[in-house]
Amino acid sequence: MKQWRLLVEPIHLFGLAGRHAEWAATRQATITANIANANTPGFEAKDIEPFESVLDKTSLRMAATSQGHIGVGYGPTGGNEAREVDTWDVTHSGNSVRIDQELAKANETSRAFTLDTSIVRSFHRMIMTSLRSTG
Amino acid sequence: MIDPLTSIGRLAGAGLEAQSARLRIVAENLANAQSTGSTQGADPYSRKTILFESKFDAALGAERVRVDAIVNDDDTPFRIEYDPGHPAADADGNVKLPNVNMLMEMADMREATRSYEANLQMMKQARSMVSMTIDLLRGS
Repeated sequence: MKQWRLLVEPIHLFGLAGRHAEWAATRQATITANIANANTPGFEAKDIEPFESVLDKTSLRMAATSQGHIGVGYGPTGGNEAREVDTWDVTHSGNSVRIDQELAKANETSRAFTLDTSIVRSFHRMIMTSLRSTG
Repeated sequence: MIDPLTSIGRLAGAGLEAQSARLRIVAENLANAQSTGSTQGADPYSRKTILFESKFDAALGAERVRVDAIVNDDDTPFRIEYDPGHPAADADGNVKLPNVNMLMEMADMREATRSYEANLQMMKQARSMVSMTIDLLRGS
């Protein structure tokens, strides 16, 4: 276990891809909430922070050395801070959700998620290759 | 707060439920487009409208949609037709017909269908994202 962490952590590609996947999943949930409320009067479309700014703000997590410690710094890294976006149009009822815009965003997010899983898979394959070649 | 990919299923499910309730109301209105009263001067069927509301769901960490109320549309006047032989005709021979506008109902139906499809699309996409994650476990 310890050795495995040593092998993976310096490269931290798994961590980065995992966090980006988490961010993508959170964004997808936000988009789904927008689409579900596409016909709710007064509902304002929301979006989450871009991944770059989430990454910039992330600080080191404190390790819990005792069971009594409250999980400091633990939380969704996916940037769940919802903010309003410049939407294409606002209807008379005050609803600012445009289904086409949301679906475009959803496709983009889904593509990002596919990229993440592909990265994890190919990186995993790389590690497995190096492990097998030593044997 | 549960996993975002799991919450998508519930959020989109609430959307599907709301839009199908809306479609049901459209069907009800269209089916009753000619339903008059049966006694003299009685009011005919009154068009129904559905109200949506967004409600913050703490478990999902997002705003899910729900049906707020189904109300009668009292603002649109009834159509009046002269038909003295009708049982619901008043003293002047005028019959009140429902305030259902076919064109409006069809437009409402189209919009509900589009929204339904969009919710379904999100559900499908979330499912494929989950299976992509599970596929990582497969030996490569």
